[in-house]
Amino acid sequence: MSSEEQLLEEVTGSEYKYGFYTDIEADKVPAGLNEEVIRIISAKKNEPQWMLDWRLDAFEKFQKMTEPDWANVTYAKPDLQAISFYSAPKQKKELASLDEVDPELLKTFTKLGISVDEQKRLSNVAMDVVVDSVSVATTFKKTLAEKGIIFCPISEAIQEHPELVKKYMGTVVPKTDNYYAALNSAVFTDGSFCYIPKGVRCPMELSTYFRINEAGTGQFERTLLIADKESYVSYLEGCTAPTRDENQLHAAVVELIAMDDAEIKYSTVQNWYPGDASGKGGVFNFVTKRGICEKNAKISWTQVETGSAVTWKYPSCILKGENSIGEFYSVAVTNNYQQADTGTKMIHLGKNTKSTIISKGICAGKSNGSYRGLVKIGPRAENARNFSQCDSLLMGSSCGSHTFPYIETQNKSAKVEHEATTSKIGEDQIFYCNQRGIGTEEAIALIVNGYCKDVLNQLPMEFAVEAQKLLAISLEGSVG
Amino acid sequence: MEALKDKLESSFLVFENELNGHSKNYIHQVRQKAFKVFEEKGFPTKKDEEWKYTNLKPILKKDFRVFHHNENNVDFADVRKYFLSDVDSYKLVFVDGKFSSWLSETTHEKFDICTFGSMLEKYPEVADKYFNQALPQEEPMAAINTAFANEGAFIRIKKNQTVEKPVQLIFFTSSQDQEVMQQPRNLIILEENAEVKVVERHQSLSSHEVFTNSATEIFVEKHARLHYSKVQNDTKQASLVDNTSVKQYGHSMVNLGTFSFGGKLVRNNLNFFLEDERTETYMDGISLIGEGQLVDHHTLADHKMPNCYSNETYKGIYDGNAKGVFNGKVMVHCVAQKTNAFQQNNNILLTDKASIDTKPQLEIFADDVQCSHGCTIGQLDEDAMFYLQARGIPAKEAKALLLYAFANDSLRNIKIAELRKKLNKLIASKLGVDLDFEL
Amino acid sequence: MLKINDLHAGIEGNEILKGINLEIKPGEVHAIMGPNGSGKSTLSSVVAGREEYEVSKGAIDFEGEDLMDLDPEERAHKGIFLSFQYPIEIPGVTVTNFLKTAINETRKAKGEEPMPANIMLKKMREKMALLEMDKGFLSRSLNDGFSGGEKKRNEIFQMAMLEPKLAILDETDSGLDIDALRIVANGVNKLKSKDNAVLLITHYQRLLDYIVPDFVHVLYKGRIVKSGGKELALELEAKGYDWIKEEMAL
Repeated sequence: MSSEEQLLEEVTGSEYKYGFYTDIEADKVPAGLNEEVIRIISAKKNEPQWMLDWRLDAFEKFQKMTEPDWANVTYAKPDLQAISFYSAPKQKKELASLDEVDPELLKTFTKLGISVDEQKRLSNVAMDVVVDSVSVATTFKKTLAEKGIIFCPISEAIQEHPELVKKYMGTVVPKTDNYYAALNSAVFTDGSFCYIPKGVRCPMELSTYFRINEAGTGQFERTLLIADKESYVSYLEGCTAPTRDENQLHAAVVELIAMDDAEIKYSTVQNWYPGDASGKGGVFNFVTKRGICEKNAKISWTQVETGSAVTWKYPSCILKGENSIGEFYSVAVTNNYQQADTGTKMIHLGKNTKSTIISKGICAGKSNGSYRGLVKIGPRAENARNFSQCDSLLMGSSCGSHTFPYIETQNKSAKVEHEATTSKIGEDQIFYCNQRGIGTEEAIALIVNGYCKDVLNQLPMEFAVEAQKLLAISLEGSVG
Repeated sequence: MEALKDKLESSFLVFENELNGHSKNYIHQVRQKAFKVFEEKGFPTKKDEEWKYTNLKPILKKDFRVFHHNENNVDFADVRKYFLSDVDSYKLVFVDGKFSSWLSETTHEKFDICTFGSMLEKYPEVADKYFNQALPQEEPMAAINTAFANEGAFIRIKKNQTVEKPVQLIFFTSSQDQEVMQQPRNLIILEENAEVKVVERHQSLSSHEVFTNSATEIFVEKHARLHYSKVQNDTKQASLVDNTSVKQYGHSMVNLGTFSFGGKLVRNNLNFFLEDERTETYMDGISLIGEGQLVDHHTLADHKMPNCYSNETYKGIYDGNAKGVFNGKVMVHCVAQKTNAFQQNNNILLTDKASIDTKPQLEIFADDVQCSHGCTIGQLDEDAMFYLQARGIPAKEAKALLLYAFANDSLRNIKIAELRKKLNKLIASKLGVDLDFEL
Repeated sequence: MLKINDLHAGIEGNEILKGINLEIKPGEVHAIMGPNGSGKSTLSSVVAGREEYEVSKGAIDFEGEDLMDLDPEERAHKGIFLSFQYPIEIPGVTVTNFLKTAINETRKAKGEEPMPANIMLKKMREKMALLEMDKGFLSRSLNDGFSGGEKKRNEIFQMAMLEPKLAILDETDSGLDIDALRIVANGVNKLKSKDNAVLLITHYQRLLDYIVPDFVHVLYKGRIVKSGGKELALELEAKGYDWIKEEMAL
């Protein structure tokens, strides 16, 4: 084995740390997808009739759609009839506080390194935790309620705030947007809902943690976040799943609405189980995330993606109002046999709209990473501006990195800039660091963190630390 | 256009007759071959992809004189301002295509800084080895220059020699009675580990239209270093097509700046052929033009071998109905792994009538490369404008200041301090900025 | 300080160095010259500990210690610095961050505390002034988009910061124009002391006009075939390497 290969193996060969399985009793719907299942889900959640009708309408449309295949990924299409669309940890009674949460579940969080309790004390983060399909704990509800902020599981919002849900759900990502969005609309089981009232600055980071636990289940959460005029919120989302041989399906929908002068910062650290070193198992992560900006509003997506076997995800911004701003900062790491096709869409409709795209791909092992981005300047978007930077860092020569930038301009006052680079971490860089007295492990951390700096800087402090750790685990692990 | 072509064809026969005994030698065979290329292709038209945005037709309609019979004396005092005069330098000065020995300062001592004509006489073996070896053979404008190649600059720096004094190449046109076409031909050779700085300029003193079709071939052997600045600030009756091709060998470094402020139509065809590993190439450029002017930069960085670096930064500011063109081609051949190619073209349009056509063109056939390109077309940064205005600087001055900062950046690689200062002043005066340059 | 004894080394089974003997004492400046492919860069790589090179015979001793079993970073900690012929680009890692890591890792290896930030910054400013470098340079990504001259200057800047005992400058002159060469040479000269040593590896004598060597060695086909004072370099420049080749053939 050449030293380059050795280095690569050291760098890339680390096991999935979060692949444990929590033994908690689950209440699970039999596998399969049909109208009956949707009715059961709706009934279990005790949903009003309008919600059930909405789901059934989505399902009817879904049945006429086919799975898309334009993304640069190959995988065996998930058998929807083999998936259970509802799995809730069995609970004896309604939970009033965190203390009543199943201790097994709390242990899970500890293993994940996010003790809910601690997190809330130390970092002032209000957190909603979704395990499999059900939201199990929302902290800080009271503090938030005083400001008029609603932060709760979406199932609860359907009960408590039907007027808001009815008005906004499906307005940014329509039911028929794409195959998986339609599926989600029909079968979503839970997720988070958030509403920030006019003029309110949310005093703490809001956070949701998603985890797929039960075997043979899919996770279809739905997030709806509404920032009313002149409000601000920073929202964090984290994901993990246990090690399993079969592929698990995750098809979420996230909708953000930023009204006039509002700002939403949405950060994701995605670490779904990527499959083992031979490519077996792992999560299929097919997610639709989109936000709409009204006048002077701003939406900023930041994501660090290290997990999933196959990812297909394009957090997007519709810059509808004038002077609105969209941002996308992304680090996507792929290793072993992982495949990722990610990017963003910035749709400039209003005057003086601005968007920034910083995408950093890191590919190791036999993985494939693609950046797919669309910058569209509409005919009325006078003086629209975009800056895009797409960089790829390759480790070894069996991985692949691809860039597909699309630019469509219908207004000549637009200013669109695009930069792209591809580089390789190789023996040369490591030796150079060694010669200056820096050991190999330190050197890799230095290089990778340096490369991702522009994106990591965008994350809230607590998350940045976790993201750095994740990068380290995904890429270096056993080095040294 | 056809008339000029016919004239050139008959002139070629005259030219051949005047060569006497030299019409049979190898050089002349090369000329004849090049002339055939021109005869077949004719002048480029807008139908040619490479000339899509730049139309030569209105210029070629003029009744140019192709040969210069009148000797026009030029007084140094009158042309002094076109020279870098505060530095000691070698000078090769041509007036109406003829070498002007009293305005020049040549040498044959440690290196050859003399004329193309004397090279043909003295070192025919050099001509045999290098003549027309760098220019693209099928390019009609380069071909027509090659066909008539007879006079221009010759610079050869021998192995391990560093020329401390800059070399100035100045081509004046003084004709007072007719439109004139000029075709200077330059050959520059840097042998292994040699170093030299060159400044080139074309200047019309004539009241009539001038059309210059210049060609320069440059060979930079291994470890050699060349700094080359083209100053293009001619009158609005002068047009220039410049064909410059550079061949670079291992570990060599070339830094070539093209600074365009003037002229009616300026077309720069600048080609770099990177023949061996570890070469370093810098192409800087600026177009700062206004009403009735067109500047077209066509560049090529041909990465044939691994580990070469090229960096291209072109800026443009267009006022009035000025027209800019930038076409930057980067070729990375499949063996050229670890290529590092950077290209940037930033433009500012000051009016609605000004226009720019910009086309970065990357053709990459290797997989381990770092290539980046970016182009912008825009107005001035409004935030910066506002900032300056908030500090009490009036809008007009603020604008000029920002444009100055934008343009001035392209001078950063110039090695001759006096030239940098001169160009700085030129930029400032074109933009109406009053700055203290002694800082 | 450095003793190389009958060193044989190569890469992928090809022997390039065929018995090198060289001793460098503190305070000395040595220059190794030779035609392309004579093994100049192999020698510097082997001393710095590059893994692809296999040492088949001989020893390298640095201040009484055998270097053979030490990793490259351990050799660096002991005070061996190699100025690379082709400095490596590391996008995203700033010059400051890189140097901070390098200095503190070296201190850690010696059991010392990290250098306080204010002292480090002061020192950086001082050394940058010595090499006529621009302030903005510290926040640029390491060698990324640097010109050839800037990369070489950055190498000497790192050398100035790390204060090695033995500095090996591998073709530091290549890619430098005359002005940059003077600045770099001036920097190296100012850093010289009676306690440290410099080994210059070069193809041309140009650099030696500015950094004057005490000894000049000619490397040819993996062996040092001639040694002498600084006049040897001038002789080589005038006569070319063919002269050595002919002499060897006799």
